[in-house]
Parts: sequence; structure tokens; C-alpha cells
Amino acid sequence: MIEIDPSSILVRYNVKMEKEMTPEEAAEELYPKDSLIYPIAKAIFEGEEDDVVEGLQKAIDAGRDPISLINDALMVGMGVVSRLYDEGVIFLPNVMMSADAMLEGIEFVKEKAGKAPETKGKVVCHVAEGDVHDIGKNIVAALLRAAGYDVVDLGRDVPVDEVVAAVERENPLMLTGTALMTTTMYAFKEVNDKLLEKGYRIPFACGGGAVNQDFVSQYELGVYGEEAADAPKIADFIREHGDNIVKLREKFHKH
Amino acid sequence: MAVTRCTKMAYSSADEMVFGRAVNPVKAGLGLEIGAGYTTPEVNYAPRPEAGVSKEKLVKEYERITTDIMARMVQIGAPAVVLETEHVQQMSNNPDWGAEVAHAQKTIMEDYHDEYGIKCALRHTIGDIRESRDFLELRGDKYSVFMEAFEQCAENGADMLAVESMGGKEVFDYAILRNDMAGVLYGIGVLGSMDMEMIWQDIASIAKKNNVVASGDTDCAQANTAMFIAGGLLDKNLAHTLAIIARAVSAARSLVAYEAGAVGPGKDCGYENTICKAIAGVPISQEGKTSTCAHSDLMGNLTMQCCDLWSNESVEYHGEFGGTTVQCWAETLAYDCALMNVALQSGNEKILRDMFVASDMNRDAQGYVLAYNNAYRIGEAITRNGDDIYLRAKNAAIECINIIEEGAKKNLELSRFESKALSDAKAALESLTDDKEQFMSDCLTKYKQEIKVFKPENYGL
Repeated sequence: MIEIDPSSILVRYNVKMEKEMTPEEAAEELYPKDSLIYPIAKAIFEGEEDDVVEGLQKAIDAGRDPISLINDALMVGMGVVSRLYDEGVIFLPNVMMSADAMLEGIEFVKEKAGKAPETKGKVVCHVAEGDVHDIGKNIVAALLRAAGYDVVDLGRDVPVDEVVAAVERENPLMLTGTALMTTTMYAFKEVNDKLLEKGYRIPFACGGGAVNQDFVSQYELGVYGEEAADAPKIADFIREHGDNIVKLREKFHKH
Repeated sequence: MAVTRCTKMAYSSADEMVFGRAVNPVKAGLGLEIGAGYTTPEVNYAPRPEAGVSKEKLVKEYERITTDIMARMVQIGAPAVVLETEHVQQMSNNPDWGAEVAHAQKTIMEDYHDEYGIKCALRHTIGDIRESRDFLELRGDKYSVFMEAFEQCAENGADMLAVESMGGKEVFDYAILRNDMAGVLYGIGVLGSMDMEMIWQDIASIAKKNNVVASGDTDCAQANTAMFIAGGLLDKNLAHTLAIIARAVSAARSLVAYEAGAVGPGKDCGYENTICKAIAGVPISQEGKTSTCAHSDLMGNLTMQCCDLWSNESVEYHGEFGGTTVQCWAETLAYDCALMNVALQSGNEKILRDMFVASDMNRDAQGYVLAYNNAYRIGEAITRNGDDIYLRAKNAAIECINIIEEGAKKNLELSRFESKALSDAKAALESLTDDKEQFMSDCLTKYKQEIKVFKPENYGL
């Protein structure tokens, strides 16, 4: 082996740039102070499903409205998680585990209240026809749910007509498509064309392995998302600024 | 074919391992011997998206690709080349498509071999099509189509058969996004190995019948998924220390192909291949700085350390200033191989190998563990309990952690986050039983409950 000083040939930027504060310390600063809400938000951050349900039960027993706990407690906890993920303090598995805990909490309060809560909007997610690689789509769906969106997950290898039918049926805020392979991502163009034929002009956010900005820019409704974490940001942008594809591309096309 | 477990190392020391030489070289195709003292470029490619609409268009696309590569190799005086065709799904779902592509490619390669004497071989990597829209269907109706795809390619021109098998992926995908080390071990080490044992006995029989090479598998579906999710130094999707644990475990899985009749060369995207080479003595293909056309990694030079074929992973076929993409990347690979072959001819191969390693060994925990000296240690940990697919995978994971901890006391810098993930993983792994049956039973109960797409019958459970 050749022994050299590695600092002369490479820089470990991740070590150099690491924040001083631990994730737990950073989260502690962001939790709400309310003694009934605090343990729920903390349990969300820690991804402890049983503790989330226990906290919710205590809050309901103390007179809190079950459905309002979604926005006042579960989403607040998830907000802490999303913020720290965006700031690079915590990593994706923490978000996934927190999202699992939040969904468990939402199911619990729905059961208690006997009705479904309002969401920020509906998003239809799918993996391109012919493509069975769905881990990217699963991450996108989890991050969207974590951000408060109602996700209609069509699964993988979804026929073009089924995607179009889902858009007609669900009337979503946007559609997402992921693909790993060059030959399957071609289906996105077909989805785009059929949607336009039928008069639907919703943003179609696409990403994944072989998908790139040049390809997505070739069809009218396409908006390229480089990272799974772009999906909730695109949805938020649509809610705030409308669904103009040109504006979305200006914001999210980075290359 | 019978399964013979690896319980000892092919090399008596790590230092014996170099690029271009394998304990058991493999003859393939038209005059090529892989691992017999020289390295060879292995060019990979993907058709343009619109080429998949019909068989005729697809065959034509592969003819163009093949001709372009062979022409460029001759133009720059490259003595040998391997072409790898990774099937797009249409080619494996319709075995006659794959067969026709193989035939068309091989015809062109034979013409070049006859005219110029260039040594060459064609690898076809069949797509693992054993799934339905909702589930893996590893033992279902598609199994016969899957095997038929191997058979037809072997009959029609493919010199080497390979696959990137999917066994265990449904559990792994769930586990890796939740830092669940038991799930990683179960998905890759146990379920993946069980599935590979089944398919590779059949693939090896097909290869033997057709007098072609059963080359190898890779844990692309899992360990590479972990590596890609982990990403670059600043990405925040997965601790790189966890990605390399998945990689170490994947060596115990990819090894199963060689235990069930495959002889190498291992597939390019198996970053675990140096470990497999250390154990089984098979030649391997590797990718690194030359696969930036497909993805980034943190060990672009290091992976050349023990390669026998040097690959570009995959590039979409289209035009560049310097020719088509396959021509540009084939040329880059060929010059890298020329340099390695100079080192082999002049007795400088160990110096060049060690320079490759020194370039990247401390760039990241992944490169540190895969450096040949440490890869060899993972191999020893696997062979220590080579007869037990669970225990050897667990050994690999724990040895990986030991190696990183030792590295962190030297020149391998870790972020606090990476260190924390490593110590959590260590605690999780150390708490696991050594009893395979107990582990299997615990995991079966847990993951049947938690993962709705996990069907134990895929593994005969």
C-alpha cells in the first residue's frame, strides 16, 4: 500500500461542513412548548409510532379535537422533520420513519373522529409503464404525504391509459412519474400527449435514474425534479403560484 | 448443477491480487481470455428511448452501436473488446427479440474478428423480468420466459450470460430507508442468496449446454441502490457507512453465482467484486471513473485495482463531438486498459494498483472498505462461515464495521452522522442471533407484517 496524506488530494467537505448542533438538539429548539403537543411532535421526530398514538390519546382525553390535532400536532412534528432534512441536519431514513409514524397518527385520529381530514391537495404518483423500479416513487410519495398532501399511488409499471384515467378521476394538483430506464421513460411523452388531447394541463413532475431535464423539457407538461425532495416543493409552488409550466421550469430546472 | 460453498480464499494474501490476472481465467468469444494477464475494455450502452417501439428498430439500433464500437476499436488499435448488452425489458420478455439482437451483434463482431483479428466477446445480461405489477414473482409463470431468454441468447450469439437478479429487493427497499440492518441482512444476505442459488444452477446448465460462459450476477438491485441513495459527500439521503455495510453483505450474495456454476467475469456494477475475486479467484469487470456517464461514485480510480474487464456501466446511444457516445467511452476505456497492460508488461502493476487505491481509499468509507487489502478481510470473514448464508453475511457486515472503525483511527475521516449511524448499526448487528433458523423465523414474522409486497413463497418459505 502507498501511504500518503489524503488531505493533499481530497477534501471531506461533509466532515468540514458538519453542523455543530446534533439533530436532537436542533429539533428540541423547534418543538412547540404546549405540554400536550410537545410529546407528539417529539415522537414524530423520533419515528416512534406507539408514542405518537399515546400522545394523541392523551390530548384527546384532555379535550382536544382529534382532527385539529393533525395540523396542530402531527404536521407540526413533521414540519420539524422536513425543515431539518432541508437544512441537512437529518437524513432521509429519519424522514421515512417519521412519515410512517405520522400516517399511523392520522389513521388513529381519523378513527377517533369518524371523518377524514382536509389535505393540502391531491397528487397522483406512478412509475412508468414497463418499469418496475419503484423505490424512487416510494420516496416521493412518502415525502409528499409528510408534507400534507393526499397521495394517490398508482404503483409501478402503470399503463398510460390508467394514468390518464386517474388524472380524470382524481383531478389532482399535479402528476408525478418516475422511471429508471431510458426505454420506459418514453411513456411519459405518451401520458403527456393523451392528457393534452383530453384538455388536461396539469404539471407532470418527472424524475428518476435515466430521466434528465433535456428529456422532460421535450413534452409540454413536463417539469423535471432532480431530487425526490423536489416533489413537495413543486406541489407547494403550485399551491402558491399556480400551475404555469413555464414558471415551474424556471424555478426547478437547474441545468 | 450442484452448489459448492466457498469456505476458503482463492488467494493466499491480498497483495497477490492485481488487475488483469485472475486465479481462474475465463476463455470467451473470439480469441479472448479474461484474467489471463491483460485487461480489456467492456463497453455498455442503452438504446435511445424511441428505439424500443419495435423489434426491427431495436435490432437496427444495436447494429449501429456494435458497428460503431468495433470500428473505433480498430481505428485506435485496441487489441480486444467486450460488448455488454443489458436487455431492455422488451428483449427479455420476448426472448426472440433478445436472440435477434445477439445474433445481429455477433455477426458484426465476427466480421471484424475475421478481417482484423481483434479479440472480442459478447455478454448478454438478461433482465430479471420475474415480477408482476404488484409483486416479485420469482418462481411464478415468468420463470420459464426468463430462462428461455438465456437459452435463446446463448443459442444465437451471446458468449457470456449474466443477470442482475432481484431476489430480496422488496425487503431491502423497505429496510434501507429505515436504517434497518436486520432487514438489509435478510433481504440481501438471506433471501437474495436463496434466490440466486435457484437461478444460477439453471443458468449454468443452459451455459454448459450451449458451450458459452455463465459469467456472474451483481447486487445492483440492492447494494447499488444503497450507494446511489447515499450519493455524494453532501447528500443527505443515507449514511455512507450504512451503504458500505450493504455492499459488504452483497459480496456474500454475489458469491452464490460462482458457488452454483458461474465462472466469471463478474458484472461491472458489482462494486463487491474485489471481495468475490479474493474468495473465488474469478475474473471481474469493474466500473468507476469511466461510468460517470451513468452515475457518480466516490472511488473512480480505486475500482481499477483488481479489474480484468474495465467498463463504463451504461451510456445512452447518441452523438457527441468525438463520435457517438459508445465510441467516446470505448476509446476512454481502451486507453485505461492500455495503461494497465503496460504496467502488467513492465512489472509495475502493483505500483499502479496501489496508486489507484491511494487516490480514493480515504475519500469515503465505501472506498476504504473496498480497497483490496480490506476487501480481502471481508472475504475471509465470509469464508469463515461459508456454509451458512446468514452467518457469513453477518460476518461480512461486522468485519466491515471493524474495518471502518480502524480506518477512523487513521486517515479515514467520518462525519459525526456517519459515526453515529455506524455505531447504531453495530449495536443492531451485535444484538442479532447467530442461529440462522431463529433469524429466518424472526424476520419472516416481522416482514410479513410490515411489508405488504413481501411474499415468502417467492423463496419457497
